Amino acid sequence: MPNPHDRTLPPPPLSPLAGFLSYLVPGLGQIYQGRVAKGLLFMVCLYGLFFYGMHLGSWSNVYLPDTVDTTPPPIPLPRPLGNLYNHKEFLGQFWIGVAAWPAIWQYNNFNPHEDKGPVFGTFERTPFESRAEPGVDAHQFKNRAPADWKGATLNELQTNGDKTWDLGWVYTVIAGVLNILVIYDAFAGPALAEGEQLQRTHQETVAA
Amino acid sequence: MNVAPVLAPGSIYWHLPVLIVVVSLVYSATRYDHWGNILKEAARWGLRMLIFLCAIALIQFVLTFFI
Repeated sequence: MPNPHDRTLPPPPLSPLAGFLSYLVPGLGQIYQGRVAKGLLFMVCLYGLFFYGMHLGSWSNVYLPDTVDTTPPPIPLPRPLGNLYNHKEFLGQFWIGVAAWPAIWQYNNFNPHEDKGPVFGTFERTPFESRAEPGVDAHQFKNRAPADWKGATLNELQTNGDKTWDLGWVYTVIAGVLNILVIYDAFAGPALAEGEQLQRTHQETVAA
Repeated sequence: MNVAPVLAPGSIYWHLPVLIVVVSLVYSATRYDHWGNILKEAARWGLRMLIFLCAIALIQFVLTFFI
């Protein structure tokens, strides 16, 4: 027979589906579980931070470049892992879910002879590193913008900017990493739920 | 030393409150389920981060007198 004074509570049931939904869209798992307000808080805060970071970086700081040929990693790695090694920011940004998937699409469909990718255009596409001289065909280089390209290249963003490009990618990484906590919350419940439950039980006992 | 550029309109430091608010709210909401507890914890974390950042800024400001 259970002891009525035993305050050990059973752990909440694990929910892999809710965890996966929160990976796809921050807070979606919590909404699926009926914790709608909390799910919306996660969605607004994390998408807000992620897209605010992208805005600060002129929408050119979430991407996965193919750089293993020019910068091989110190140990032999499969090509995608080598590219991730060279661009570790994406390891954090990835966890924001579907909002980072266009970068994977662009990585798999990158054509250096085109100025933009299929479907997503320049969104989350590896930005041009520098600009070709006038009269020079930019497409003979791997990642150089035509001279009359309207956007800013990475070199221009980093040399002419006021550090907001760097701050922007940090924000996108923080948003992705915070979503790992949100995924865990959807999967296993809040970290201190048991203490909160005990606190409520105690308050109900005192009130009675 | 002139600290005005730090607080000037357009300074990158004006973007920091967004980060402090979001990190403290999201972290606290992953610890608790009840809004009272979430908001109290978020306020505590927000204050801690603000004090930490101000302390770092103060240390750097003092160091400028010796460099």
